Amino acid sequence: MISDTDLEHKVRASVSDLHMRIPVEAILDNARRRRRSRRIMLSATAVVGCAAVALAAIGLTATHETARTAKAQLAAFTLSGGPGGSASLTLHKGAQYRLDPDALRRALAEHGIPALVTVGTSCDTNPEPDGLDRVVTASRQSSGDVFITINPGAIPAGAELSIGYFSSHTRYSLIEQKAPKTCSA
Amino acid sequence: MRDTRAEFVEFYEANKDACLRAVAVSVADRDLAEELVGEAFARAWTRWPRIRGHPAPAAWVVRVALNTRVSWWRRRRREVPLGEHDAWSNDLTLDLDLDIAAALLRLPRRQREVVALRVLLDLDTETTARILGIAPGTVTGHLARATSVLRRQLLSPEHITEVTP
Repeated sequence: MISDTDLEHKVRASVSDLHMRIPVEAILDNARRRRRSRRIMLSATAVVGCAAVALAAIGLTATHETARTAKAQLAAFTLSGGPGGSASLTLHKGAQYRLDPDALRRALAEHGIPALVTVGTSCDTNPEPDGLDRVVTASRQSSGDVFITINPGAIPAGAELSIGYFSSHTRYSLIEQKAPKTCSA
Repeated sequence: MRDTRAEFVEFYEANKDACLRAVAVSVADRDLAEELVGEAFARAWTRWPRIRGHPAPAAWVVRVALNTRVSWWRRRRREVPLGEHDAWSNDLTLDLDLDIAAALLRLPRRQREVVALRVLLDLDTETTARILGIAPGTVTGHLARATSVLRRQLLSPEHITEVTP
């Protein structure tokens, strides 16, 4: 008869080869993005009460982030035109990359893709427009990079693409541009 | 006063593998478990002044990871899977070529969670019950059934060494 102690030892030994591969720096970086995302959401809330002051604050924040991005972080995306009016977006993942959501939003807009880009959170609307599968095709490479083909012609009228960028994954949805948005981590 | 960042780093290094193993056995998916545990540790760092005083901070991390799994599952149909790493899988993908691990993964989910918390994270019955939101007696029952199955697995013919006279 196997004792409880022996059994527990065998159970522990059976998973002893599992080790976290995420370095602590990536955890801290993820936490920093979460904090910043929360601050941005708080700033957006303040717009309701005091538009001019809040806009100025967001502007200062954006300027600061852009400057810091240029100095210390690598751009987290590349975007190019594809066949048939499509766009090819590559998202890089890793502690060395920092995504500027506004820069990506502007770049997508230049390719005719209306989008809401968020970092550390993702947004949805209810109802959610149909057709996401026709708009986005995504695959992940062994390097961790995510390649996404976006077909702007398939985005329904009045809708936009919501991209939630996380350190370890990416969430997409179609959202109604004018509907209230629910955002969560 | 100790540097709080250094304190958190020490906490992470000391507990990351145990948390991963507990969550991996619970969700039966190594990559998913790593994402969940990574997210949970990031949340722990954003709340570190409070979490550092928690009676069992590693248990807090595991609870957050398991709760995050539930919220991700609810959102699952709205996500576009991104290949192997991002895909939600119901398959058992721990890649552990050990019979005991295989038997562990064949247990019902709740029994796996109890084994993960009681055995791998070494939590007591009451803490395990709080984390899983079930009664302490239910924890004891799940653990007894799980250990019974695992014990039978270890006593199966292929685990008995043949002795030649």
